[in-house]
Amino acid sequence: MNLKRRQKYLQIALNSTPFEAREIIAQLPFSGRILIEAGTPLIKIYGKRAISEIKYGIREGTYIVADTKCADLASREVEVAADAGAQAVTCLGVAPVETVDRFIEECQKNGVDSMVDMMNVDDPVSVLKELKNPPDIVVLHRGVDEREFSKEKQIPFYQINQIKDNFDVLVSVAGGDTIDEVQRAVFNGADIVVAWKAFYQSTAETAKLAEEFLKEIR
Amino acid sequence: MLDRKQKYLQIAFNRTLEEIAVMINSLPLSSRIIIEAGYPLIKTYGTHAISTIKTLWEQRILGYGLGTVEAPEMKPFQLYKAGYGSPLLDLLLKSIEKRKIENPKREFSEKKEIALTPYIVADLKCMDRAFTEVEAAASAGASAATCLGLAPLETIDEFIKRCEEIGIDSMLDMMNIEYPFEILGKLKKPPKIVMLHRGVDEGENREKEIPYQEIERIKSVYEDVLIAVAGGETIQEVITGAFNDADIIVVWRLFNENPEKITSLCNEFLKEIK
Repeated sequence: MNLKRRQKYLQIALNSTPFEAREIIAQLPFSGRILIEAGTPLIKIYGKRAISEIKYGIREGTYIVADTKCADLASREVEVAADAGAQAVTCLGVAPVETVDRFIEECQKNGVDSMVDMMNVDDPVSVLKELKNPPDIVVLHRGVDEREFSKEKQIPFYQINQIKDNFDVLVSVAGGDTIDEVQRAVFNGADIVVAWKAFYQSTAETAKLAEEFLKEIR
Repeated sequence: MLDRKQKYLQIAFNRTLEEIAVMINSLPLSSRIIIEAGYPLIKTYGTHAISTIKTLWEQRILGYGLGTVEAPEMKPFQLYKAGYGSPLLDLLLKSIEKRKIENPKREFSEKKEIALTPYIVADLKCMDRAFTEVEAAASAGASAATCLGLAPLETIDEFIKRCEEIGIDSMLDMMNIEYPFEILGKLKKPPKIVMLHRGVDEGENREKEIPYQEIERIKSVYEDVLIAVAGGETIQEVITGAFNDADIIVVWRLFNENPEKITSLCNEFLKEIK
């Protein structure tokens, strides 16, 4: 695995355009604890170019997550993302077991971290139990549409330790938009907290969140 | 946009854009062909893949890329190192040839309709942010887009709604769903097309079958819904799909692994699924 255990990370998801992505990256403090994510919309609109463009704009060695949300044809997708320069790739937890297994296997072969995104999965532990090998990272996630239309849906924080008790994996939690939310996730045992930049936010705010994270959370 | 009384052949393209250009120039210009910008293709090139395919087709109609382009340098593309090779396909083509010789009188008088603009499906497999994804696909020139049946209900509802507003067909991909019927029942509105799907990775698991019995079941309740089946690749499976009343048959492996035979494959398949 390319990440250290017992270290806390902040993952910044970039979703609009490669141009804006570079703008945000330029303002972020440099740290091994800040991970950069090429978001799904960015990849679907710009293709793997989005990943390589982000890579081009940042310092050597920065950890890039390609949020491809693989659902089928795992070997091809991992190859494309790894080739473009990603250190981690995501797969959907709702995908067929065969796909998730192949995905994890291919990630190992390509030397990238495997992330399984548990969006719309009620019981992540039961999904993990069916796999041949657990992934490196499990992502607990509420979708953007879900949060917008059903505000009562919350990330089940109790699942973090449930997963960690059963498997030797890191847990990533999506949805840390303010430092309080990030702290809450970390307090509940998350290793990685994913932050989005909402379209109404300025890039400076995202940079500020990253700085606060580095200062407050060790 | 699609004619209810027709049966369609949907071909998913997954090679490089340069190779796809050659393949599109070899396609029969039938209005019964649906072109799918495959999921890996979109991940590799983004929505640019959709607009390129559209341009290629239109250029052909206008006469820029006339005729079949020879593609001697294209090597067969293999997804996995072992297992699937072309011997099987050659056998299939041979049997087709043989049948032609055996039944020389079997003529197919097909009324040929040329499609002036291609019907392109963007295989987005949308899982979240339906609004943004539909918008991106439509603006690139897609006529339909796909959403995963496994996505949160909020996403599917938003997806179908946005597709309708923007004027493209919504396709709901039921991959890895045992009872598609249940999902449809929970939606505010059914999609235009339901796709019954056995994933490629799943396909290696021989026990998993396309649930053909669901086709009639879905059609009996949702009269306006068209059914697509994906995951069957041999001509026999394609015939089975059409026989079970699927409106759209999705294929990819044969076509992507044998780009040089694409014209004959297309014609053969189109005849079989009439």
